[in-house]
Amino acid sequence: MTDTWTAGVRHRISHLVPEGQALPDRQPAYVASWIYVFGVATLAALIVVVGSGVVLAIGGPVWWHTSGLGHFVNSVHLWSVELFFAVMVIHLWGKFWMAAWRGHRGLTWVTGVIAFVTSIGTAFTGYLSQTDFQSQWISGEAKDGINSIGIGAFFNVLNPSQMLLWHVVLLPLAVGLIAVLHIVLVRRHGVVPPLGDELDHRPSDPREGATR
Amino acid sequence: MTTVFAAGKYLSWGVVSISLTNLLIIVAMVVVFALALVLPFPRDHHDGHSDGTGS
Repeated sequence: MTDTWTAGVRHRISHLVPEGQALPDRQPAYVASWIYVFGVATLAALIVVVGSGVVLAIGGPVWWHTSGLGHFVNSVHLWSVELFFAVMVIHLWGKFWMAAWRGHRGLTWVTGVIAFVTSIGTAFTGYLSQTDFQSQWISGEAKDGINSIGIGAFFNVLNPSQMLLWHVVLLPLAVGLIAVLHIVLVRRHGVVPPLGDELDHRPSDPREGATR
Repeated sequence: MTTVFAAGKYLSWGVVSISLTNLLIIVAMVVVFALALVLPFPRDHHDGHSDGTGS
């Protein structure tokens, strides 16, 4: 390998996950359970959230408030977010009760927590960006809470423009990046086995990855 | 057209207060969680080779 930064980056990218684990077409037998579905359901909901959000950004507030199609896309955006949080919380319950941080998966757990908290912030700024009386009321209720934790000076919930920019640029970028990192870590270390499964600490388990 | 938003029903136990709607949603999520644990997952009957290790 030549000693260049491009070769170094290529080497790191190609060794992020064990060979064949980036997009696997087979999974361990224990994954054949509905409880393992909610992670990818969260990802699917996130894709709909982002897609409908892009359409809303194209049309703008007047469009989503006054046209039939705008109302529909606005509702798709809202209900995909509701579904996103519902399946993400069920995913969280499942992973909590199977202690999914086992087997060097601590960082996977932590990135999931960060993704959850960042998603709450993204949804919150979304409610503030509706440009209607509800967003006005929510921002009025939220300002004291935000001020009480000392960030109201630069994160002003009464400033709709700032909240809209956080909602459509900064926070989606953060959620997207942390979600990618979370998924890479899942593929790197493999799906956590059930508690007491003999594969849990088997060093030769291919899903543990020799490149960790 | 005027849309009137009625105040929802709220349930209170001491300092705990929750809207009936939110409570029902949480209950539904718990039910889905429980069903996910007990319902059998459909398997591909044509896939005769299942060594449990993936690849």
